Amino acid sequence: MKMLPASYLPLILGVIVLGIPACSKKAVRSGGDIQALQEEMAKGGTAKEGTSSSFPDTSFSGRDDSTGLRGLDRNPSEERLGGNSGNGGGSGGAGHTNAMIAKADSGAAARQLAEIRAEQVASVAAGLRDVFFAYDSFSITDEGRHALSGDAEWSRTNPYSQLKIEGHCDERGTSAYNLVLGEKRAKAVRNYLVELGVTPAHLSVVSYGKERPFCSEHTESCYSQNRRGHVVVKTGK
Amino acid sequence: MTFRAVVFVGLCVSIGVVWIIESGAADVFLEATKPDFQRIPLGIAGIDNMGGAESSEGRVKLGTRIEEVLKADVRRSLVFALVDLPSLGIKVDHLGTEPDASFKQAAENGVSVIVWGKAGVKNGSKDADLSMDGYVYDAGSNEVAGGKRYVGSTSVVRLMAHRFADELVFRYTGEPGIARTKIAYVSELGTARELFVMDYDGYEPRQLTADGFLNLMPRWSPDRRFLVFTTYRNRNTQDIDMLELATGKRWTLVSQGGLNITPALSPDGKALAYSSSHEGNAELYRLDTHTKTVQRLTTHAAGDLSPSWSPSGREIAFTSDRNGGPQIFLMSADGSNVRRLTFEGDYNAAPAWSPRGNWIAYVCRTPKKEYKLCVITPDGQKHLQLTTGLGVDDSPSWSPDGRHLVFSSTVDGKSQIYMINADGKDLERITFTGTHNSAPSWSPAS
Repeated sequence: MKMLPASYLPLILGVIVLGIPACSKKAVRSGGDIQALQEEMAKGGTAKEGTSSSFPDTSFSGRDDSTGLRGLDRNPSEERLGGNSGNGGGSGGAGHTNAMIAKADSGAAARQLAEIRAEQVASVAAGLRDVFFAYDSFSITDEGRHALSGDAEWSRTNPYSQLKIEGHCDERGTSAYNLVLGEKRAKAVRNYLVELGVTPAHLSVVSYGKERPFCSEHTESCYSQNRRGHVVVKTGK
Repeated sequence: MTFRAVVFVGLCVSIGVVWIIESGAADVFLEATKPDFQRIPLGIAGIDNMGGAESSEGRVKLGTRIEEVLKADVRRSLVFALVDLPSLGIKVDHLGTEPDASFKQAAENGVSVIVWGKAGVKNGSKDADLSMDGYVYDAGSNEVAGGKRYVGSTSVVRLMAHRFADELVFRYTGEPGIARTKIAYVSELGTARELFVMDYDGYEPRQLTADGFLNLMPRWSPDRRFLVFTTYRNRNTQDIDMLELATGKRWTLVSQGGLNITPALSPDGKALAYSSSHEGNAELYRLDTHTKTVQRLTTHAAGDLSPSWSPSGREIAFTSDRNGGPQIFLMSADGSNVRRLTFEGDYNAAPAWSPRGNWIAYVCRTPKKEYKLCVITPDGQKHLQLTTGLGVDDSPSWSPDGRHLVFSSTVDGKSQIYMINADGKDLERITFTGTHNSAPSWSPAS
């Protein structure tokens, strides 16, 4: 059977255990060199329009023969697979299968969960309401306008708070196109809030497409829950 | 090359027993690329178990396990037709290093290639290494064409079979085979979606990220060292990251606000095409991976996304909703010569250009509002629907040999990953665990 190997258990437990003390810490990026990127951009370096100049050159000139096949042999010599010794693995082929590992920021999952929970609590306390959309549509309905008038009122009376509008879609359609549709929904909500007098700088948008559904049944009642502009109090940066 | 001779001999003798062969005569793909191609009849006489060795997967003996994996690889190669030797009345008495007397009889019955071998604990090994010997009998020449000898730990049992299968494909086609390729994909852990990679047959899944939020739509670099994908920094902004498989090291390639999605490296690895909305709406951009300069490719008030490079790197297929619903468009790799490719239906998206160049796979919405896989030729002359029925199909990705597609579907309820031949045959589910597996991307061959 294809089960997740038992070797994941320590990782998962580690995420849970290590995550608890990390909850209150500021977000730290794992594994990458986002810091180098930020430093470079602060210096006005060669990074252009928010792209990094520090990643490796990925250009590729044909097949890497060192990982290739050797053909049949009437007197076959021994090929060692999987290890870094011997002659059968090669750096990019069989040999690297054992090296592929999750480089885990062990606190990341727990920290994300804690921040999401904090956002939810703040948003419920604020009485913010969501907007729902028709299939394939990013037009705000009359009911949506009514909901947003309350959200706009809250924003005007809480000028030091930021609102984040998440665009969500139902599971139908492709992941990629739903990210575009989700952004259109989020921007439609933002634009209407601005029409109602909310300061644009107090609003941000993000599209989650169909990747963070509120329910997962294949029914219209679930789909309609997931076609949403979700308005939350932004607690992180 | 012996290939043609083998096929010719195989064809001549196999006429009488053509009913036993899983024939690919109606295979649309093979017809389209190799009109004279006929699958080569291949029999597996057995991989003997030596010395009571047991594989890493429980009580199944090593030879038995390798034989099972090898059979599946041979079947999926679509180069060979797997012949059941016992059903031809062929009984193999003794497997050594020389052909069994029965092989001649099999050859007379139209079998072109017979493979056999043995596997077990390596003789005199202090590290309890395992070994597998495989031999290939070529009916055309009535002699042993050669063999392979693999050694390694229990963790490479499946790899021994995969590598042997690829050697067989290589010998008879000159192509490297797909049995050692991998599939990167997205899997749900709690409410997070993380990147994983698995063997092409769905085994040996490995987790690559543990960010606790969303990582989406991985794509391979042409040298198989890296994945590029969309990640949500602090949940609020989308960046495009690159991850090195061997080390887990990560770099941020694009971080500029708005949507930053559907990255795809060109076949020569020198350019990254992606969609970004940082200047307003989703447009396609091209990042030179050497000079790190960015060129905007599209200028339109509608959304442009999902770039897929032609194998020559000279053209890009993409999704655009400039005519209302999403449709597939083509353009030159510098953004010029934009033209619409799909006209059937009101929703066509997620194009994937075949590595052979002759088809573009995509998600099409049928008149019944079902999201299914379709393929179309780049000249738009011919198009076919590959899948039918319930479920949302998404994210088609080609095997490097252009004979298969992998994709996600909710046909069984939760999103899982499936493989299908380029002609719509042999639908096979390859992920079985978890609440959500999606966005598969097939690696290049090595």
